[in-house]
Amino acid sequence: MDLVLGMKDTHPREVRKKRDIEMKLRHLFSSWGFEEVETPSLEYFATLQKVIGEELKERLLQFINREGKLVCLRPDFTTSIARKYSSDLIGEHQTIRVFYDGKIFRLPSSPLRTESELTQMGLENIGKNTAAVDAEVIALAIIALQEAGIRDYAVDIGHVGFFRGILDMMDYSADRQQQLKVIMKTKDFIALGSFLEQFPPAEPQLASLLLDFPFLRGKKDFLIGCQDRFPKTQLFTVPFQRLQSIWNILVDFGLEANIMANLGLIRDFDYYSGVIFEGFSPLSGSPLLAGGRYDELFRIFGKDRPACGFALFVERLVEVYEKSHPGNSVPPLIYTIHYQPTYRKPVFLLAQKLRESHLSVITQEESELPVALKVTDGIHEYSWTNIDWDILPEQIQKVIYHG
Amino acid sequence: MDKLTLSIPTGRLKDETIALLSRMPSWPDSFNLNSRKLIFEDLSLPWKIILSHPKDSSTYVEFGAADIGIVGKDILQERGNEVYELLDLRIGKCQMVIAGPESLTTTELFSKDTFRIATKYPNITRRYLQEKGLTADILFLYGSIELAPAINLTDAVIDLVSTGKTLRENKLKVLENIFPVSARLVANRISIKTKMESILAFVQQLKGVIGNE
Repeated sequence: MDLVLGMKDTHPREVRKKRDIEMKLRHLFSSWGFEEVETPSLEYFATLQKVIGEELKERLLQFINREGKLVCLRPDFTTSIARKYSSDLIGEHQTIRVFYDGKIFRLPSSPLRTESELTQMGLENIGKNTAAVDAEVIALAIIALQEAGIRDYAVDIGHVGFFRGILDMMDYSADRQQQLKVIMKTKDFIALGSFLEQFPPAEPQLASLLLDFPFLRGKKDFLIGCQDRFPKTQLFTVPFQRLQSIWNILVDFGLEANIMANLGLIRDFDYYSGVIFEGFSPLSGSPLLAGGRYDELFRIFGKDRPACGFALFVERLVEVYEKSHPGNSVPPLIYTIHYQPTYRKPVFLLAQKLRESHLSVITQEESELPVALKVTDGIHEYSWTNIDWDILPEQIQKVIYHG
Repeated sequence: MDKLTLSIPTGRLKDETIALLSRMPSWPDSFNLNSRKLIFEDLSLPWKIILSHPKDSSTYVEFGAADIGIVGKDILQERGNEVYELLDLRIGKCQMVIAGPESLTTTELFSKDTFRIATKYPNITRRYLQEKGLTADILFLYGSIELAPAINLTDAVIDLVSTGKTLRENKLKVLENIFPVSARLVANRISIKTKMESILAFVQQLKGVIGNE
C-alpha cells in the first residue's frame, strides 16, 4: 500500500532515539517549572490567517470540515498556544510557563522536498517582556541542545528591530516594502543589490548595512562595535540595549561559549516582535531550533500579553546525534521464557516479577521443550530442569547480569 | 579558518568558472581540474572541490554537502533552493525566454484558447503562465526543446538562449524575455554562520576578480 505523499513511517530504532531525546527534554523543561500543554491538531484557517505569513499560508494542509469551514492541520504550536491563552481568563496576571511536544504539518517548501510532518518540542513563557525572560528562554534552548547530546552547536541571537528599523527609515511604499521583505527572506543578495540601486534609500548607510546582513555576526565586542554602523535612533538603540542585557545574563549563566550575536537574523514568521534566535550544528543543513519574542501575536488575538519561546525540530536533533555518535545505538534486550504448559501459572507470576524490575519479557509455551524452562535473549541461553520457584527470579537476574 | 567545500558545475559553466576562480589569489598555480575525478581534496588546495552536475550544484549546497557553490540562476529559479545568493559572477550569461515559430506573435499565441509549451523548466513555466494569467499545457522534455514546434509537438518553448543561433536554425524567434540568467555564488544557510569568516574571505577575493561586463 502507498504512503500518503509527504508522510513517512519511523522505524523503532529511530523512535527509540527520538523518545530518548524527548524524555530528557521533558525532564529538563519540567525541572525549570514548565508544564506540558496539548493543543488540538486542527485549527480554523480563520485563526491562522491572521498571524502567519503569505509563504506559510501556501504550505498549510487544509480541508473543509463538516460545518463547511476551512480547517488546517497546525503548522506550529505557538499560534495555537497564543490562541488558547488569549481566550483563557484564568491566570491573566500570572506568568504562564508551558511546553509542548507533538507533530506539526507543513507542505514542503519546494516540490523537491517531501517531508510534511515534523515533530516539534518547545516552550513558551507568557506574561513578561524583560531581558531576564528572554535570556532564560535562550538559556533553556542552549541547555536543551546539550541535553539532547548535541556537541558542536551555536545559537545565534538577533532582534527583529534591526531589519524593521531599516525598513522604517527607508520610507518605501507598502508595496516596495513587501518586495524588499521577499528579497530578504529568499536571501537573494544580488536581487537586493539591484533593488537598492534602483530605489536608493535616503541614507546610503542603510543600503550597505542590508547588503552586509549575512555577515553581521560576532561576539560581545562585535555587538558593541557594530552600534556605530547603525543610525543613532531609538529604532536601533533599544534592540542593541536589549541584546546586550541578554548577553550579560547569559555570560553570568556561563553560557557564553556557544552564543553569537547575529544582527542579520530574519525569521520566517511575521509575528516576532523582539529578540529572535536560531540554533544549529555544522552537521545539519537546517536549523535545530528557532524562537523569539512574539508580543504582537497576542495583540492580534485581542489580548495584550508579552511572550517568548522556542521550538526544537526533534527529527533534526536525532539526525545530528546519530551523525556525531555513530554506531551508538544498542537495541534493548528482550528476554523470552520458553516453558512447558504445566508451568503456565508460576511462569506468568515469574514474568510479571521480572517485568516489575524493568526487564522486557516475552513468554512462550512449548509442549515439546526438552527442559522445564529456558530463558534466551537472542544470544545467550539458560535452562532449568529442576525449578525452585522461590529463588528462580534471583537466579535469572543473576545469570542475566553476571553470566 | 575552516576549509570550505566548494561545488563547481560540470558542463557549459565549468571552464568559465575555473577561469574565473584561477584568477583568485588563493588558487594554486599548477592546479588543474582536468582529470575524471569528481572530488578534489589536495592539501595544496585552499578548498575541497566537488564537481557536480550543473542542476545539482545548488542542491548540494542546500543540503550542506557543499558550503558554497556555483550555479546558474535558471536552476535556482527552477528548484527554489533555500540558499544564500551572494554574488553574480557575470559568466554563463543568457536569457530565459519564451520562443515560437517565426510567423507567430505573442498576441496570437496568448489569445489561443489553449496552447502547449515545451520546456526543461516546468516550475518556471508554471509561474510565468500564472503571472500572465494564461492556461497552457506544459510538456516536460529533457532536451532538444527547439525541435518541439517544428514537429508540431507544441506551439512554443520556454528555454535558455545565449546567442540565438539554435533558435534561428530551427526557424524560431524570441517572443519575450522572461529573466536574465548568469552564474551565481550560493552559500548554505548554516555554513554562512559556522564558516562565516572563510565564506566572507572567499566572497571578497572572488569579488575582486569578477569582470565588469
